[in-house]
Amino acid sequence: MTSPLKPPEGNWWDQPVDRRETIWLGLGVGWALVLFGWMSAFTRVGDQNPIGETYRVSAEEFRAKMGEYQDAGEETDEGLVPPGDDVLIGAGQFYWDGLPVVLEADRQYDIHLFAYDVQHGFSIRPEETLSKQINLQTIPGYEWVVPMTFDEPGTYRVLCNEFCGDGHEAMHGRLVVREGEQ
Amino acid sequence: MSTSSRHRLDVLGLFDNEYDEDGYRQCSVTGLDVHRSVENHVKLFGVTAVVWLLVGGLFAITVVGTRWEAIGLLSASDYYIHLSMHAWSMLLFWIVFVEVAILYVGGPMVLGRRLPLTKLAKAGYLVMVGGVLTIYYAIWTTSAPDQAPLLTAYIPLPSSPLFYAGALTFVVGVVIAAVPFFVTLWREKREKPGETLPLVTFGAFITGIIAVEALLGGVVAFGGALLWRLEILTFDPAAYRMWFWIVGHGTQQINLVAMIVVWYFLTHVVGGAEVVSEKVSRTAFILYLFFINMGAAHHLLVDPGISTGWRIWNTSYAFYGATLASLIHAFAIPAGIEAGRRKRGKGGGLFGWLTSAPWQNPMFAAPVIAIILFGFLGGITGVLMGQLQLNMAWHNTFATVGHFHSTVVLGTTITFMAVVYFVIRTMFMRRFVSNRLASLQPFLYGGAMGLTALMMMYVGILYGVPRRTPEVVANIPGTDFSLSAAEPLFVVFGLAAFVAIAGGALFVVLAVGSLLFGERIEPGRVDDSLLADGGDASLGFADGTELTTRESIDLSQDPDDPVHAYEMRGTFVLCLLFLAAFVITYILNWYLITQLWQIGA
Repeated sequence: MTSPLKPPEGNWWDQPVDRRETIWLGLGVGWALVLFGWMSAFTRVGDQNPIGETYRVSAEEFRAKMGEYQDAGEETDEGLVPPGDDVLIGAGQFYWDGLPVVLEADRQYDIHLFAYDVQHGFSIRPEETLSKQINLQTIPGYEWVVPMTFDEPGTYRVLCNEFCGDGHEAMHGRLVVREGEQ
Repeated sequence: MSTSSRHRLDVLGLFDNEYDEDGYRQCSVTGLDVHRSVENHVKLFGVTAVVWLLVGGLFAITVVGTRWEAIGLLSASDYYIHLSMHAWSMLLFWIVFVEVAILYVGGPMVLGRRLPLTKLAKAGYLVMVGGVLTIYYAIWTTSAPDQAPLLTAYIPLPSSPLFYAGALTFVVGVVIAAVPFFVTLWREKREKPGETLPLVTFGAFITGIIAVEALLGGVVAFGGALLWRLEILTFDPAAYRMWFWIVGHGTQQINLVAMIVVWYFLTHVVGGAEVVSEKVSRTAFILYLFFINMGAAHHLLVDPGISTGWRIWNTSYAFYGATLASLIHAFAIPAGIEAGRRKRGKGGGLFGWLTSAPWQNPMFAAPVIAIILFGFLGGITGVLMGQLQLNMAWHNTFATVGHFHSTVVLGTTITFMAVVYFVIRTMFMRRFVSNRLASLQPFLYGGAMGLTALMMMYVGILYGVPRRTPEVVANIPGTDFSLSAAEPLFVVFGLAAFVAIAGGALFVVLAVGSLLFGERIEPGRVDDSLLADGGDASLGFADGTELTTRESIDLSQDPDDPVHAYEMRGTFVLCLLFLAAFVITYILNWYLITQLWQIGA
């Protein structure tokens, strides 16, 4: 009747289920609904979601846009101060185009992520607190606009965490967040 | 039986069991009627799998020696090639070859049938081996403009055309090798239309379906990438990611389901476990069938161009249907051990069924170690990183590597090592060259690998160490910034990983040594070290001889003594502990993510 190697005999479907197994099933269903509910609700009420508009753009188009953006921005010793709320970041073998960049704390920017040649990984953390890190994929042909508001001033370090060829390990960029103008 | 025909294909005395005129023998351990055609093909795929494990293990040495930057063994270019060799050997070749063997055991062997279409099985084998060798050659000879493929070969980063061709060949070979399994089930159901399949066969059938779905995704991914590489057609890199992960993650779902089938099988045969509810366990397999392939979406959670709704629906396996299935097995398998052992008089108190279990038998210890470590380390982290938001912290960090070493190594590889041990004992009929070392091996390997995986997760989540890079902790070329705060944990990682590699090497030595030098177990003789622990003197015979495995197994057929009537409170307590660990790690991960700056629309 209960060997996994033999066909079960008789009406095995109606055989009673142990009470504790039934309770466990209930707990499992409940936990599954919590997992789903929280993930879904957090996209509405939470502040950290990998969500943003995507546009199909060619590498040439993004490069042209990057040129205009860099011309309009202000070059400083620490990096480019963007002309507005848009921040363009293009990943290439093996550099971060548009970085270093200087941003204001507590101001929401639209971060435009793009890959010129192959896939790269946008991996960013403040250099003082390595555990505060996130990672977003960049794919050629896709410009992904993810809004971000940095609330803590400091230097943020960007690494590539998608293998993009021999030389990938040296791909590094910087993002400087200054106190905002209050 | 004519001796000449028996030894016609014999190699090193490995294919020389004695069969009756119809080609059958009865296994003295399981009582199954085993046909020569099944057994020989199981041996063929099983032994070949160990070869790939050995290759992958050798590259584990150089990979660990490089990631532990204090040693810094390889240059970056070499590292990517070695990492590719390690990944393909372990994740695909070792595991998939064992999986084909498991299909043949779960189908024809359990059903007491011969393996049909043996020529097709052999053809599948040869095509698979051809694919393996092509991939090895392509990776090893990588030269510009091509790059090492790693596991994923994400286009438009080019790899050698031979690599895509090899991958396509391998995938097609697996499908060919799976055909005899499906034909077996077809014939079984045609002959016995009203009869339910045994649970193990049912699980193997689900495994087979999930495998074919995954492999067809691989045909599109690798076939498409090959045509793209030859500049015959264009292939969108985001679309490639989806197709690749249908096979990339799908093959890991084959692992999962195959591994669970083995857990039911081995805990029954060597631990006296029974199925506490056919209905519940089979429903869980059905849930896998419908929902688990959606797990591929976990890899695309922080990709551009995919809607939030698509990501949430798929990554939640449609409301966590597949997670529920795993939670069901997490109860049903230990409950089967508990109730089965209580029924056999081996379960006093809350955990007497566990403390009295045959822990010195690696065919019992290995799967149970796998169940525990897979659940606590692999299963929980899989659900965590499969949450849309938490994935931002996990994606492509070393923590991801820690996750899949928990699922694929702590779960699948340890389980499949037990399969190989089982094949050596019951099909090759060889004793282990050292019982003591065989008892030790799962604990050594599981313990060290568990610590290794934990360290990978810590450095990935707490220090943001990326995967797939030889230099980042002590030194990032071209900048003074580094992640050197993670160095102390990397010392633990490196030491634990080398001990784990030693544990893996011990497995290969035991397996190969026992095949070549192990004492033969004569047919008909009950192998005393394989007694299911239901075999206890108190249940045994008047003359003091113990219950054999066969007799213990036959107990589960007693209609007047149903197993579901026995206590499962020990399992219930263990499962509550597991759920508590799940909830705590879930909250901790969410706490970390909410400490970040504002991200996303």
